[in-house]
Amino acid sequence: AEICITSMDNYPLYIRSIPTQGELKFHYTVHTSLDVVEEKISGVGKALADQRELYLGLLYPTEDYKVYGYVTNSKVKFVIVVDSSNTSLRDNEIRSMFRKLHNSFTDVMCNPFYNPGDPIQSKAFDSIVSTMMVQAC
Amino acid sequence: MSVPDYMQCAEDHQTVLVVVQPMGIVPEDQFFRIYKRITGVSQVSIRDSQRVLFIRYRHHYPPENNDWGDFQTHRKVVGLISVTSCTTAKEWPQTSERFHGQKEVFGSTLYDSRLLVFGLQGEVAEQQRTDVAFYPSYDDCPDVEKRVEDFVESIFIVLESKRLDRATDKSGDKIQLLCVPFEKKDFVGLDTDSRHYKKRCQGRMRKHVGDLCLQAGMLQDALVHYHMAVELLRSVNDFLWLGAALEGLCSASVIFHYPGGTAGKSGARKPGVSSAADAGKRHRPGAQEVLIDPGALTTNGISADTSTEIGRAKNCLSQEDIIEKYKEAISNYGKYKSAGVIELEACIKAVRVLAIQKRAMEASEFLQNAVYINLGQLSEEEKIQRYSVLSELYELIGFHRKSAFFKRVAAMQCVAPTIPEPGWKACYKLLLETLPGYSLSLDPKDFSKGTHRGWAAVQLRLLHELVYASRRMGNPGLSVRHLSFLLQTMLDFLSDQEKKEVTQSLENYTSKCPGGMEVISLPDGLKLPPVPFTKLPILNAFLSLCIYTVLLFIDVCVCVCVADFQWVQGDVCEVQLMVYNPMPFELRVENMGLLTSGVDFESLPAALSLPAESGLYPVTLVGVPRTAGNITINGYHTSVFGVSSDCLLEGLVGVKSSGCMVEVVPSLPRLQLCTSLPRSAHLSSEDLSTSVSLQLFNGETQQLTITLENIGAEMLNTLELTSKTLSTKEKLFGEFLTWDLQDALSHLPLKSGQSVSIPVNISAKLDFSGQENLLHDLNDDGISVTGLPVSSPLRQVLKPRAENKPVGTDASKNEFNHVKTLEAVLTFKYSGGAGQVEGYYRELSLGVRVDVEPSVFFTRVSTLPATSTRQCHLLLDVFNSTEHELTLSAKNNQDLVLHASECQRYMHTHTHTHTHTLSHTDSSFICEMYRCLSG
Repeated sequence: AEICITSMDNYPLYIRSIPTQGELKFHYTVHTSLDVVEEKISGVGKALADQRELYLGLLYPTEDYKVYGYVTNSKVKFVIVVDSSNTSLRDNEIRSMFRKLHNSFTDVMCNPFYNPGDPIQSKAFDSIVSTMMVQAC
Repeated sequence: MSVPDYMQCAEDHQTVLVVVQPMGIVPEDQFFRIYKRITGVSQVSIRDSQRVLFIRYRHHYPPENNDWGDFQTHRKVVGLISVTSCTTAKEWPQTSERFHGQKEVFGSTLYDSRLLVFGLQGEVAEQQRTDVAFYPSYDDCPDVEKRVEDFVESIFIVLESKRLDRATDKSGDKIQLLCVPFEKKDFVGLDTDSRHYKKRCQGRMRKHVGDLCLQAGMLQDALVHYHMAVELLRSVNDFLWLGAALEGLCSASVIFHYPGGTAGKSGARKPGVSSAADAGKRHRPGAQEVLIDPGALTTNGISADTSTEIGRAKNCLSQEDIIEKYKEAISNYGKYKSAGVIELEACIKAVRVLAIQKRAMEASEFLQNAVYINLGQLSEEEKIQRYSVLSELYELIGFHRKSAFFKRVAAMQCVAPTIPEPGWKACYKLLLETLPGYSLSLDPKDFSKGTHRGWAAVQLRLLHELVYASRRMGNPGLSVRHLSFLLQTMLDFLSDQEKKEVTQSLENYTSKCPGGMEVISLPDGLKLPPVPFTKLPILNAFLSLCIYTVLLFIDVCVCVCVADFQWVQGDVCEVQLMVYNPMPFELRVENMGLLTSGVDFESLPAALSLPAESGLYPVTLVGVPRTAGNITINGYHTSVFGVSSDCLLEGLVGVKSSGCMVEVVPSLPRLQLCTSLPRSAHLSSEDLSTSVSLQLFNGETQQLTITLENIGAEMLNTLELTSKTLSTKEKLFGEFLTWDLQDALSHLPLKSGQSVSIPVNISAKLDFSGQENLLHDLNDDGISVTGLPVSSPLRQVLKPRAENKPVGTDASKNEFNHVKTLEAVLTFKYSGGAGQVEGYYRELSLGVRVDVEPSVFFTRVSTLPATSTRQCHLLLDVFNSTEHELTLSAKNNQDLVLHASECQRYMHTHTHTHTHTLSHTDSSFICEMYRCLSG
């Protein structure tokens, strides 16, 4: 499973994946999924400007993974990749994971010493992600 | 059918397929010249019918694909144009024979064929044949296009007759069952009289007629036929053909909605025909024929009837429906493994349509499906083609990252281990095309602004692949450039181990092909800008640029951008940089020098070796300006790992200045100073070129000889000497430094290499009184006290020294430090040569530090009454602490000669009544010491 946060300009602020040996593959997966995220955002912008739904849902399924997306109002994107075989994670679970992630991300942004756009190095954020990862795997 | 045509688009259903092939030996370039001219005739307006026939040309077409011609008629080769060279009439029969052989290949489907013969003249060429055209040479064939048009018209006639023939088949007649190659065996022994079978035959035939109508330019007819076919085929669950009928419906609708075509730029229709007016005309012929039973139609009507608009709207699918029907068609195709190619092509066609509709999400679903379509064993080449097309399609719908991903996969496929001759060039080219998708440019300037932002892990991989591919391509220059770029831009993301590996391979490459600063241009026009190693080593931003002037011939560190000092033409100047090495190993920087502009500057390169992960490390770069004027220091150049780089200051992260301007003044002489005394540490306060220090006893005079040598090239014309005594609390008697410059000045002008000596006398005359508490003793004891040992601690200190005993401890010496210090600076101002004319001069200064020790001590004091009551004798025990003989003289008294370390009683007749005044008189003792020249 992998959790990735990218900035509004689509460069990564935070990437974490377990197991770590297949990291590059996850990077490719998330990187390409950004196309879908962008497309979804631009679609939303046209049709449903007032829509406050941040959860983008399943971006696309591959043979081995499911890729879910979430975008904040400031166009920061969250992407979660989980194993396709993991059936315990339904849409609702993923949704709550994103919400948790968003809350934690907001805390990071509240840190006066954090510059928006810098890689996230917060320990608190890290530990929350870790617990989520354990749950997801 | 195993070979998909990845370039297909919906409007291809409207075309007729013509194969153009060379026959025998035809020079390739000549063939393609002719081929290009032929393909120029891509649409032909048919006389009298206002219809347009579209032609798709192929110079290669696998015959097994032709077998699917009944399924979708645009796959059927209906025309053949052979191009051949024939020089003599003798060859003609053989050529003619061959042409027949070639026709056989597509024989079952061909409507017509043409042979273009080049090079034949004479009797044979005279013959008038419709199927053969003779041209004297490849350059002399003006009517090729005309011939092709005639040929297309003849194809049209056959097509039209077939269409009418099939369309008028009444349902009562026995209809032949059309089938695709893999179905043939399934229908053996089937009951041909069942309703089911008949319906199947009807449905398939309807679909076929629809295809023919579409090709013949009767769009509305085609739509009606397709609709009917869909109904029929759906009722008998003939899924494959249902799919084809649905796709036909989609194709016809797409052609209606998008007369400009869906293939993008490369496949765009001729603008002359796709303009709005023409498009209307194109569809009109079909429009009037919209009836429920197209079988009863005729084709000769021209008049446009507005009532048909209703029918058109009903038959033609809406934009939304097109996609729905495509989906249905594809899912029907998906039921047949052997129809993979059809399914794949349908996906591609649908994606192109969606791209035009700007529905990227749905398009990506189609593509995703296309990825998983299994076409069985593909050749490597087909795999490459497949991935490339996927990449192009993703690009088309704006999924640049996905596009880059597949392009990279295609690139990797080019060099798959199973390929006997890996195509590294193709791989490299494809990899380069993926760069934008990974938001990577090969210009290091794009990375110099702030921290790197991007998908480092992915980008790193791509760069590694570029390096490897370029190496395997046999272009080490490219590898070096890419590897340099990797090292420069991705340094922060490399682990220590990777840093080592990357630099090692870089060194390997550069040993064959040193890297430079030139722009590398690739054949396809891409330019690879040079990559200066501004991070190897890293110039520290905070210390900025430190420049040592030589105007003062003194090292002065100035951290400014416009220097407030000048350099001198012809003299070595220095710039100090603070650098550090970010690498986990020793970094060897060679050929490091300054980059300047404005003045001829000879840079003297330095080589340095920076220890692993060094802290700040000063580097001094030197050079010689050859002319006078303003010089701007723009940066520095280095050579690291065999890659030479020019690092400009303006491009450096954190360095604010974009260069430093220094004025270079005309040449001046230069003096070197040496003294008769050894050099010492610099004085505390001043910046000096050199310093000397010496120890003197109070009253001692010593001569210092200063030798000035003109080590510059210019003649020394003027010389001035001034001195400045640094502020001291001590009271100084007489001159501290005295000199006579006359002798030296008489030697001027001083030529290069000559030297001049200046003697400087240093004399120390200080007041050491009041340091000893003799007077207290005197006061306490009064006059009567005699012969009491003076309790001055100095005595205890000095005695051992005088007796040369090592008992004296440093501690006690420090505690009662009686040594006084005098400091002064001698400043030489001199000038000459061209610089003098403009008023420039140089300064040279010498610091002099003298530690003065007292030469005598009064160890005891007592008084004796004198003959007169107004007088008394003052008895002083004087101790000579020096190792020399000295003469003591006092007012009104004879001199007393004291030998080294000798103590004598000195009598002074005092004329005042009060002993208290002794303190004043004491101060009036002037102890002059004369050096015993004998030692």
